Amino acid sequence: MADLKTVGTSVPRKDAIEKVTGSAEFIEDRYMGPMLYAKMKKSTVAHGKIKNIDTTRALKHPGVKAVLTGKEYPNRIGLYLIDRTFLAVDKVRFWGEPVAVVAAVTEKAAAEAVDLIEVEYEELPGVFDPREGMKPDAPIIHEDLANYEIVPIFYPEKGTNIANHFKVRKGDIDKGFAEADKIIERDYYVPQMQHVPIETHKAAVQWSLDGKLTVWSTAQSPNVVRQLLAKSLDMPMHKIRVISSYIGGGFGCKAGASIEGLLVPIAQKFPGHIVRIVFNREEDMQGTFTRQALYSKLKTGVKKDGRITALQYEMVWDGGAYTEYGVNIVRAAGYSSTGAYDIPNVKTDSYCVYTNNSIGGPVRGFGMCEMQWGIERQLEEIARELGMDPLEVRLINGMKKGSTTASGQVIHDLDYDKCLKVVADKIGWGKKEESRDGKYRGKGIAGLVKCPAQPSNAASSAMIRINEDGTAHVMIGATEMGQGMLTAISQIASEALHIPVDKIDIKVPDTDFTPYEWQSVGSRITYTCGTSVKRAAEDALGQIYRVAADLLETPQEDLSFDGKKVFSAKNPDLTATIREVADSCKKCTGEGIAGPIIGRGSFVPTNMTNLDPETGQGNPGLFYCFGATGVEVEVDPETGVVKILQLACSIDAGKAVNPQLCTAQLHGGTIMGLSTALYEEVRFDKGIMLNRNFTDYKIATIDNTPHMDSFIVETPETNGPYGARGIGEQPMIGVAPAIANAVSDALGVDFNTFPLTPERVWQAIKNKK
Amino acid sequence: MLSYDYVKCNDLRLACQELEEGEQVYLLAGGTDLIVGMRGGKFSAKTLVDIKDVPELKVLEEDDRGITVGAAVTLNEAVVFAPIRDNVPILAEGCHSVGSYSIRNRATMAGNICNASPAADTAAPLYCLDALVNIKSSEGSRSMPIKDFFAGPGKTALNKGELVQSILIPRPYPEGKGVYLKASRTGSVDLATVGVAVQRWGEEVKIAIGAVAATPVRAFSVEKAINEKGEKNYADAARLVHDDISPITDLRGSREYRYHMVEVLVRRGLEQTLGV
Repeated sequence: MADLKTVGTSVPRKDAIEKVTGSAEFIEDRYMGPMLYAKMKKSTVAHGKIKNIDTTRALKHPGVKAVLTGKEYPNRIGLYLIDRTFLAVDKVRFWGEPVAVVAAVTEKAAAEAVDLIEVEYEELPGVFDPREGMKPDAPIIHEDLANYEIVPIFYPEKGTNIANHFKVRKGDIDKGFAEADKIIERDYYVPQMQHVPIETHKAAVQWSLDGKLTVWSTAQSPNVVRQLLAKSLDMPMHKIRVISSYIGGGFGCKAGASIEGLLVPIAQKFPGHIVRIVFNREEDMQGTFTRQALYSKLKTGVKKDGRITALQYEMVWDGGAYTEYGVNIVRAAGYSSTGAYDIPNVKTDSYCVYTNNSIGGPVRGFGMCEMQWGIERQLEEIARELGMDPLEVRLINGMKKGSTTASGQVIHDLDYDKCLKVVADKIGWGKKEESRDGKYRGKGIAGLVKCPAQPSNAASSAMIRINEDGTAHVMIGATEMGQGMLTAISQIASEALHIPVDKIDIKVPDTDFTPYEWQSVGSRITYTCGTSVKRAAEDALGQIYRVAADLLETPQEDLSFDGKKVFSAKNPDLTATIREVADSCKKCTGEGIAGPIIGRGSFVPTNMTNLDPETGQGNPGLFYCFGATGVEVEVDPETGVVKILQLACSIDAGKAVNPQLCTAQLHGGTIMGLSTALYEEVRFDKGIMLNRNFTDYKIATIDNTPHMDSFIVETPETNGPYGARGIGEQPMIGVAPAIANAVSDALGVDFNTFPLTPERVWQAIKNKK
Repeated sequence: MLSYDYVKCNDLRLACQELEEGEQVYLLAGGTDLIVGMRGGKFSAKTLVDIKDVPELKVLEEDDRGITVGAAVTLNEAVVFAPIRDNVPILAEGCHSVGSYSIRNRATMAGNICNASPAADTAAPLYCLDALVNIKSSEGSRSMPIKDFFAGPGKTALNKGELVQSILIPRPYPEGKGVYLKASRTGSVDLATVGVAVQRWGEEVKIAIGAVAATPVRAFSVEKAINEKGEKNYADAARLVHDDISPITDLRGSREYRYHMVEVLVRRGLEQTLGV
């Protein structure tokens, strides 16, 4: 792959000028027609029966066109476990759950009418801690769980709040612990956090007079929105069109389908109108996916030489009120439960438990940040118990070529050692800095791994149209939410098609025109969509050669294409411009050869399998991406303030399609990780979210952003396009444990939870004294 | 959904009249607390009177009496005003620690005290400087010490029809260094978990603390130990601050952590202003 022209170069972002000038269109930027504005009435209790909803006054309010309640939304929806309705039906399961929706001619009228709706609840005892929720006498949140439709790779327990119990049984756990010289056991806790994309959730819906449904949405997957709407509305897919504008950040909160379906029954009542909903920040924080809290118990058996012989991991996840998506996070954390380490004997039980907290769901890392927090903290404790260097313990147990994951999947393409070593070298690992000015210094390191958590048949497809002048349009169903997908994908197309990247146009998806893509989630698009684009480009290139061979009357094998012309390597006189080939090619006699060239490509994984229900063994990973984070901190023991002195991150990208964008992802993910490590935590009081705006939900600002050193390691992914694998989520995973390990190193105190706020660090120091 | 009448007023007399005659009239200077508060349901305003361009409120000057900061002067304007930086840098520090640069482009010192948050970052420095609040109404003018202006969380001594015209930092200015030390969750763009202002006045010291009581408070116990008893052990002196404060637990910090942090910051403030 030494002769790559475009892949591996930092071409400017395709959307740079639009974004920088502010001309990029987002949903709210567009006037789309006669509008109705929707607002939701939200539950004031966390768990309760709806006794009565009185909409009389709201309906009489000037400007109000419709007030709908759960009765009009009887069908359930969900990605994996079909447990949700768009509005609460008969009962509410979390504080702030929508119970009615108002549509009015102005947003103001809609908001005023919402206040006029009166709802009477009979409050029920709530579940706010999933460990309590698992107990036999806990109040049941979903009485109908046993009857819910579910993808048959999840295991709900009938008559309980357990929506999924995922098991791993690898090797012989008893033998593993028997072989161990030391056993380390500890509890960990990771609180809920929020994604905080700059753009909140938005959707607009139009029901046309001929019965076609058009949806504009901030959804990360227009195809999944279409699929779920088709199912919940019992409509054929060709009657549903989903359009994705640019999205102002997703990080998982816009995966699946969220708010679009809420608007459909209103739109049906007012054909031709556009019904729009725009969440404010509080609604976005409280009403959309939250990262599930995790209560875990981790027990590790280790030999004196540092080799881990056994790992037992019990994870209890706070799935929140609905776990349609959360069940898969619990599964992913289960099958990845040894982190980046090769451990022969594993017993994992990962439980997804309903509670009356906000809905749990996907967030960058998809369970890995939470699960690997325990792994990477425990490795630190193991190293200390054995008197070993924590880096050494990681290198001894770290996955290598031929290692197996918790699910027994063999891994081939990785250089985890290198990922660890580059960050360790950068921060001067092994050199202990002295404390100065009464502040303590410490260093920490943490590794990370993640594979896309997707169904084994999650597919991608692409079309490439060659214009008459030899320029091209790439059509795909992936969404652009800031990650740089449009640029990376057009680079892959350019590379395979030989057409320069500036002659390739690529746009955000519209399901009426762009081909199928499962979801832009799981750091999978570069790999999956990239592969289908590469195949479409190769298909188009093959057609270019076939047509040119016919035109030039020479064998295809002799032809080359340099982006402008097709020529014969053997006879320099035999040459045809791309215009001649692409513009409905004809011979000099006027006889036609071929019409316009359209390349097509599709992709579905062939290396994934279902997992054994009892042992969790099988191949759930499309590819595994490894990396590491290294940190040096300075801690003020009096105030508990942690200052980051050095921050280094590495990722094994396989092949960085665009090194600059790859580095940007490393920086973005690392800062998001730092923000959760030091500041972010959703606070609940009996299900009520207390910090749902930026006054009290703090995220890192530029002032909290230290210099970062990032390293791209390139161990080619055999089946990835040009050796590439996805890296979007991964940089976040190692940051929190690396920082905690560094603070631990500085102070000699341990942390089993984060964020490491000044107060928490101070408390830990105080408790030690 | 916010809904209100907006009145742009460039005449101080008319602004006072609006306040006196109207119902639920609020003054809009920077709006950085007001609009957020309205959105959160803390204020229900029927009318906002925009006073940003009232000439008398734009005054930022130094004369024989001291430094006058008009009610429409932004924090960024105050921060770079040479007489403030040179004579009372503690106030510049307090102003600078409010929100972010872009917030300080709009936010005003008068707004910061009128919002009457016990955590107001300009308040503790103003307490240490014995600032005076100049109040204007249709009836006339009056002024009062800053300590009397704060009446409780979100409450000021303003009567109906009154507005803050300016804040006076009176001469003589303090001789000696002053520092404003703020503890917060993120260290920037955040409210004070506690804020401690320590200002040296010759051989004496004045200390004021925010976010530990219903209003900002002076640390008289500590001041007494230093100024009257000649306590040289700043750690011992700082410990006395517990008698001056009554913090609560909220999302920003626990009562216990606030007690601890105030003690630490008072000690550090003493060290930094009086010398170790």
